[in-house]
Amino acid sequence: MNPGDLNAEYRTPACSQYEAALEDYVNGEFADRETAKLKEHLQTCSGCTDALAEAQVAARLLRAAEPTVDPGAGFARVTMARIRAEMETLEEKSIWRPFVSLAWKLSATAALALVLLVTFDVKHRDNRLDQDELAIMAANEAPELLSDEGRQPSNRDEMLILMAEEGHAKH
Amino acid sequence: MTRVPKNMAASASALPLALSRREKGEQERELVRLAQSGEEAAFEELIRRHQQRVFGLVSGILRRREDVEDVVQQVFLKVFLSLKKFDQRSAFSTWLYKISVNECWDYLRKKKVRPLTYEADMSEEQVSRLDGVASAVSPPESPNRRAEVRDLLERMLETLPDQDRALLVLKEMEGFSVEELAVILDLNVNTVKVRLFRSRAKLMDVYRRRLKTKPGFPGAGETKT
Repeated sequence: MNPGDLNAEYRTPACSQYEAALEDYVNGEFADRETAKLKEHLQTCSGCTDALAEAQVAARLLRAAEPTVDPGAGFARVTMARIRAEMETLEEKSIWRPFVSLAWKLSATAALALVLLVTFDVKHRDNRLDQDELAIMAANEAPELLSDEGRQPSNRDEMLILMAEEGHAKH
Repeated sequence: MTRVPKNMAASASALPLALSRREKGEQERELVRLAQSGEEAAFEELIRRHQQRVFGLVSGILRRREDVEDVVQQVFLKVFLSLKKFDQRSAFSTWLYKISVNECWDYLRKKKVRPLTYEADMSEEQVSRLDGVASAVSPPESPNRRAEVRDLLERMLETLPDQDRALLVLKEMEGFSVEELAVILDLNVNTVKVRLFRSRAKLMDVYRRRLKTKPGFPGAGETKT
C-alpha cells in the first residue's frame, strides 16, 4: 500500500513499540534522536508506514472540523441563576432538616411507648384472668382449701396440687 | 453581592494579549479565592472564562448535543458546591475539566443510551466532500463547510467506542494537548498517545467502509478475503 492511499485496505498494524512515537510524529512533536530512529524504522516497515499515512489523513479530517462554538455571554448568567435557585432549594431543605429530624425522633419514641403500653396491658390482663379463674375454681371444687389460711394457693398449679393432695387425703 | 474588580470581570477574550501566562494564572487564582469567599461575580467570571472549553469537552464526550448545555450547567453547579474544598494545588482548569469528564461518564452510565447509527447514513455527495477534505492540503476556510465536516465526522465517530471518540474529538477538534488529556482522563501520557494512534486507525476503518459503499469506487461491492 502506498502511503496515503485511502483506497487500499489497511491490513498490517503498526509495530506496538512505535505507536507512541508515530503519534508524536502525527502531532509534529518529536525529539531528534527518536525521529531519526523512527525514520530508519519506517524505511523497512510497511505496516508502520501505512499506519502513519492513515493517521495523518485522520488528523487532517478531524482538524478540518469546526470546533464547538462558544455558548455566548448569556450562558454564564443563566448558569449563575440556576446555581442560585439550587442553593435556595438546598438552604430551604437545611432549614427544615432539624425539625424533620426531631419529628422522626418523637414519632419513634411515641411508637416505642405505645408498644410497651400494649405489652404491659396484655400481660396484666392475663394475670388478672388467672387470679379470677383460680378463685372460681377454688370456690366450686374445693371450698375447704380457701378456709385454710396457711395454705392459700398463689397460682393455678399450686391450686391443682392442693386439690390433688386433698383428694388423696380423703381416700 | 460584592462586585469583582473591573479588570477581573473583563472577559478572557478582552484580556490584553500581552498578559503573560503567569499573570493570567495569578488572576485566575485570585478569582478562585474571591469565589471561595462567596463572591458570586467572581464565580460568574470563572464560568465565562472556561465555558467554551468545558462545552467542547462535554460535547466531545457526549453524543447528544441537546444534553450538552444541561450537563455543562451541572458541572458548574458541582464546582460551585465543592469550591471551598479546592486547595489550588493544581490549576483550576485541570480540576474543572476532571469534574467535567466524570460528570460526562456518570451521565452516559445513567442514560445507557447509545444511538443507533447506520453505515449507509451518508449520501454519495457527502462522502465525496469528505474525500475532498481528506486529500486537501489545507482545511476548508468557510465556517459552514467546517461545520458540515464536523457533522459528517461525528456520524463516523458515533460508531467508535466512547473513549476513542472522546480522545479524538478532544485532541483534534477541541484542541486539548496530549498532556492535558493524560491529566484529565487519569492516564499515562504514553497510553494517551497509543490510544490516540489506535483510535485514528479505527476511524479510518469506518471512513474506508463508507468510501467502499460509494458507487463507482474501485473495489465497491467486492468481498474482502
